Amino acid sequence: MKRTVSILVALVLVLSVGVGMVAQTAPKIGVCIYKFDDTFMSYVRNTIETAAKGKAILSVQDSMYDQPRQNDQVDQFLVEGMKSLAINMVDPSAVSVLIGKAAKKKVPLVLFNREPAAADMAKYAMAYYVGAKAQESGTMEGEIVADYWKKNPSADLNKDGVLQYVMLIGDPSNTDAKYRTEFSIKAVTAAGIKVQKLAEDTAMWDRPKAQEKMAAWLTAYAGKIEVVFANNDDMALGAIEALKAAGYFKDGKYMPVVGVDATPPALDALEQGYLLGTVLNDAKRQGLATFELAYSLALGKPASTTVAPLANADGKPDPKGKYVWVPYVKVTKDNYKAFK
Amino acid sequence: MSTLARAEGPRRSIAELASKNAIVLVLLGLVLVIGAARPSFLNPENLVNILRISSVRAIIALGVGGILIMRGTDLSAGRTVGFAAVVAASLAQRDDYASKLFKDLPMLPLLVPVLAALGVGLLVGLLNGSVVAFLKVPPFIATLGMMVIVYGAVSLYVDRPPMGAQPLGGLREDFTNIGTGDTLTIPNLILIAALVTLVTYVILNRTRLGKNVYAIGGNPEAAVVSGVSVWRNTLLVYAFGGLLYGLAGALLAARTGGATNNYGQMYELDAIAACVIGGVSTSGGIGTVGGMITGVLIFEVLNNGLVVLGVSAYWQQIVKGIIIVAAVAIDIQKYVRKR
Repeated sequence: MKRTVSILVALVLVLSVGVGMVAQTAPKIGVCIYKFDDTFMSYVRNTIETAAKGKAILSVQDSMYDQPRQNDQVDQFLVEGMKSLAINMVDPSAVSVLIGKAAKKKVPLVLFNREPAAADMAKYAMAYYVGAKAQESGTMEGEIVADYWKKNPSADLNKDGVLQYVMLIGDPSNTDAKYRTEFSIKAVTAAGIKVQKLAEDTAMWDRPKAQEKMAAWLTAYAGKIEVVFANNDDMALGAIEALKAAGYFKDGKYMPVVGVDATPPALDALEQGYLLGTVLNDAKRQGLATFELAYSLALGKPASTTVAPLANADGKPDPKGKYVWVPYVKVTKDNYKAFK
Repeated sequence: MSTLARAEGPRRSIAELASKNAIVLVLLGLVLVIGAARPSFLNPENLVNILRISSVRAIIALGVGGILIMRGTDLSAGRTVGFAAVVAASLAQRDDYASKLFKDLPMLPLLVPVLAALGVGLLVGLLNGSVVAFLKVPPFIATLGMMVIVYGAVSLYVDRPPMGAQPLGGLREDFTNIGTGDTLTIPNLILIAALVTLVTYVILNRTRLGKNVYAIGGNPEAAVVSGVSVWRNTLLVYAFGGLLYGLAGALLAARTGGATNNYGQMYELDAIAACVIGGVSTSGGIGTVGGMITGVLIFEVLNNGLVVLGVSAYWQQIVKGIIIVAAVAIDIQKYVRKR
């Protein structure tokens, strides 16, 4: 026990010396991630850490899906004299307390990925937000399908001029799931295509569940389904497995399936011709924008980032805006290689 | 139960036969009702598909079933299935898959991912058994703790730089073939589940371990007095359960062609519910392999049938809950009447 403690102390000393060497010029920035085991946030975190190398000293904390813990971490950051904070909130509705803390010490605050209410953001001039417009992911999913439908007249299996689809929903209480369900179909109809919903059901973002639901639909609507929408890639891949089992993707039998996330297995399915398309929530650029904003503010300069122009809460560009909207990216057979 | 077999007249015996096999009748009734409403439900393709999905669930239920009979329970079953699925998937990724979890892993013999999954399950089972047998922690608590630990472990396993926690994909075709392919026109999954059912049947009915499990579950004090080693049988039953979860995990990864750290979440509750529907008593000592399998089939017929019927997701939950309670209420009448 004593030995472990002394080894730990030695380690801490060595680390702090190492950190101290960069410390002369580089500003200190405190970063909180709502929880470390979230796949998407680990991509964001990795980008922030890479971008900060040689420029700033980061303290990155895991808030473990616990807002009170995050508040304590922010208090600690402020005591340590961080020059700016980049916070991925656990509960965005609790932001007013955090904004109050940062404003009191006049430390710039960059919130990211989980969006707080605009009214709260207005309370502090140096509060910024970096994120993506969730609706956009659904819109792009719909656009991929609309493109495909227009280019492939044979996709209309029953030649009735109406697109018959099924929809795999994530968690019905989740905003992303709602937006993706709603806006994917809106984008299809906006392209002048009539649609008919055969079925929709929740598969809780889960691949095995989606596979089971899809198999049942293939029974209930044999030969009638023309497109499969899924709120995320895991469910799209589950649907694809069910389709494979039902004889699709060989002998010219094809079903367009779309998802969201551009996960590595989804890109693989794209490459092999199973998945029609997916939409990338650009974690890397979200991380980069977050770091660039926090870094420029930490140096006492005006907020700036190379990722996207500053904008207001509605997405309109505005040089005095406090929002950076990182665009989603459509990923199809044409461009998937760039994301692998 | 033998008292029930003594029928006094032909009419009485039909009634008793129906009561004894109430669960099978519930299953047949469900199939007929759903089939009448949507004839496509009865397509051989759909029925085979239900069996295929039931296969993995049945293997988990058989694992939990033995533990339930011995007055235990296992809340860690689902997470263990998930852990095994992730381990199997991580060792069965294609060489040319860009985001392999272990970059430099060579192509392993097909048996390795399967054995690794079995090993994971066995290890968790042995730990559960030891905690229950030696530390005397109540099974509910012991396996509740294990459920949380296993989820932590699987997340730790899968969350590696540079990618972080990610879904595992790109599984080799010879591996996914275990879950999607056929042997002699019968799906492999169904064959494997049938074999596991047979093995479990033999263990529970034809071995000393099986007899001891029923004895301990029926009356632990009496079992001890008659010289049954409780700790040994506890350890063995949990180990056997774990082994089956490991197998189920490997099969789940093979069937779905991937795995994430969220695989298997809450599967233990489905498995326990299926066992209970199938007449396994949660107070121990009672339960048959046939009942467990019937329970699983009722569950999966419902899962599939409600979707085929187009019932909304929320109503599906309500109907399933009602069926669980109703099935047990009908089944329990035979014991109530006995008293």
